[in-house]
Amino acid sequence: MKARTRTNLWFQLALVLTLGTLMAWGPAVPVQAQDVVVKVGNIIPLSGPSASVGLQGKQAREMAVEEINAAGGIQSLGGAKLVMLYADSESKPEKGVAEAERLINTEKVHVLTGCWNSAVTYPVTAVAERYGIPFIVPVSVADKITEQGFKNVFRIAAKDSWWTRDQFAFLKDLQEEFGTKVSKLAFVYENGDWGKGFAEQWKKLAAEQGYEVVLDEPYPSTATDLSPVVQKIRRARPDVLMLVSNAADAILLTNTLAEYKVNLKAVITSGGGHADPSFLKAAGENARYLFDIVEWETDINKPGAQEANAKYKAKYGQNLTGEAVDAYLAMYVLADALERAGSLDPAKIREALAATNYRSGPGMIVGYDAVEFDETGQNEHASLVMVQINDLGQGLERITVWPKGARRAGYTPVFPMPAR
Amino acid sequence: MLFLIEDAINGILMGSIYGLTALGLTVIFGVLKVINFAHGSLLMVSMYAAYWTVALTGWHPYLALVIVAPAMFVFGYYLQDIVIKPIFKAEQDVREPITVIIVTTGVWYILDNLTLLLFGPQYRTLQDNPLRGRMLEIGQMLISVPKLWGFAAAVLTASGLYLFFQKTRLGRAVRATSLDRQAASLMGINQYKVYNIAFGIGTATAGIAAVTLVPFYNVFPTVGVLFDIKGFIIVVLGGLGSIGGALLGGIIIGLIESVGPQFMTATWTEAIVYGLFLLVLFVKPSGLFGVRYDW
Repeated sequence: MKARTRTNLWFQLALVLTLGTLMAWGPAVPVQAQDVVVKVGNIIPLSGPSASVGLQGKQAREMAVEEINAAGGIQSLGGAKLVMLYADSESKPEKGVAEAERLINTEKVHVLTGCWNSAVTYPVTAVAERYGIPFIVPVSVADKITEQGFKNVFRIAAKDSWWTRDQFAFLKDLQEEFGTKVSKLAFVYENGDWGKGFAEQWKKLAAEQGYEVVLDEPYPSTATDLSPVVQKIRRARPDVLMLVSNAADAILLTNTLAEYKVNLKAVITSGGGHADPSFLKAAGENARYLFDIVEWETDINKPGAQEANAKYKAKYGQNLTGEAVDAYLAMYVLADALERAGSLDPAKIREALAATNYRSGPGMIVGYDAVEFDETGQNEHASLVMVQINDLGQGLERITVWPKGARRAGYTPVFPMPAR
Repeated sequence: MLFLIEDAINGILMGSIYGLTALGLTVIFGVLKVINFAHGSLLMVSMYAAYWTVALTGWHPYLALVIVAPAMFVFGYYLQDIVIKPIFKAEQDVREPITVIIVTTGVWYILDNLTLLLFGPQYRTLQDNPLRGRMLEIGQMLISVPKLWGFAAAVLTASGLYLFFQKTRLGRAVRATSLDRQAASLMGINQYKVYNIAFGIGTATAGIAAVTLVPFYNVFPTVGVLFDIKGFIIVVLGGLGSIGGALLGGIIIGLIESVGPQFMTATWTEAIVYGLFLLVLFVKPSGLFGVRYDW
């Protein structure tokens, strides 16, 4: 018995020594060009309710990584290739956390990206932080994701509260560009969390920027008749109407506003129902001149955007979406950071990411002009895109108008709206 | 003051259309003593029928009545005959058969999901029909023309139904069955045939309601649910089984919905409607215009 224990002990000691030596050697061994790969763990919803956006994210990542690898990989790592590992979160937070642990411990990934669903991304940030693995979040809008004081989370896209910020920024730019003053605003929104959340921020922004709010009206999304609400808008005589609507009510409001010939300088909407694919068809001509806020639009005027979209469409049969574009950009931001890090040490990669200042290159097909992370890990240049619905002879379409750097070439927004 | 009149007119017009959507519910309840949970879905099916009729033929929307109302009558007739009648027979001795309610819920889910499968979740509106977006301008006041037509349709349908039940032999047979099905059977009335007819009539009125809605409202697979909830409130408010009650109940709700928002936010009018609903249940459970006996 005793002898047996002793052998075991010797064996263990030997093992520890060997491993220790190996570990000590690890960094000392020069990086071998062909052997090195960068393992990128991606946690996205590939099944379940968000599977379709998850798939878009996967396809966009794949397209970007193929391009990066084909262009010679990461030069500073001897042409290292990016290797993508996908894990399905099923939109479930607990699944996302388990997959993050697995990717870090078993697959030994160098970087994590994901998770689209804010509810999944949020707990995964804590896992990434614990292991010190850099975590790139292309899109997950919840503000709190970058507001935990974590060092390893980097978000590319704009956060929730920036939607309203950008609507007001757009309104300000519009007034300057056209020299038309807007002083009275009306806020009309569905009475759920989403609408009320927007309205709260609108009220704050309006007070800060000196607008007069002439109407602040929540309405039930299930309303079968919105003419009472439209009457209130008509009688309040606002310059600009701001809306948050789901699909059925967006159509009903747009049509009813036209029927009652409500004259406004502009209508600014918040995606959702106004971005629903059937909205343009169902509201028709009445939707003309509306301004809507989105993450991205296919006509965006950035070098390479049209080409990337065409390539994506040929490959996957769909246009790029806001989700896809941010995922695509995320891969280029990662490649840029790896290039500067010249190491696979997560801490080095983190430092390089924190120092990112990505302004041009194949990934810059988004509405904003740069990726630069502030101390919370939020891309401080991220912004949304404003589109105007108009008919330029080929039916109603969504035309990018803001930020100005991304505006469709040759298009001048229509502001104020012509009287009905 | 002018604003109030304008809102009241809109409330009465829209309310009468709500009443029209609830008419079928009240007819079916009056006779079968069954809350038809599939009523909203039948309205939705009718809206699709009206939408496609007008979209494909390019007719005036109200011409679709010629197709939609008879088609929905037949649909309702056979729905009752094939799906609901067997359950009725199994529960012969019960005055208000609960299982039938469950069956109508099943029909609701099947119809909604079948529509989703066939037509997708898209929202559709009739473009370019002669009623769409038309407004009557009286001085400063604007009155929606399609709603005016809807009001006329509602009043005509309700009076037509009333006359039918009061004056015709078949109408009297329906009323007799609703009062006492056993006695009616003993008098030689085919109880189940009367049920089929009542269900058919209820569904056909949903068809008429659909035709009035389609010129200005969206069509989508779950549109029935929005009108369903309102329909129940209207029917209880007006008195279950009462035709005039349904119309007046609808107008009351329409008025609250239309005038209310001028004094408070639109969300609150919903609370008032439900509050009134509870109050009526407490104070006068048979409804504002309901009679103790069913007709």
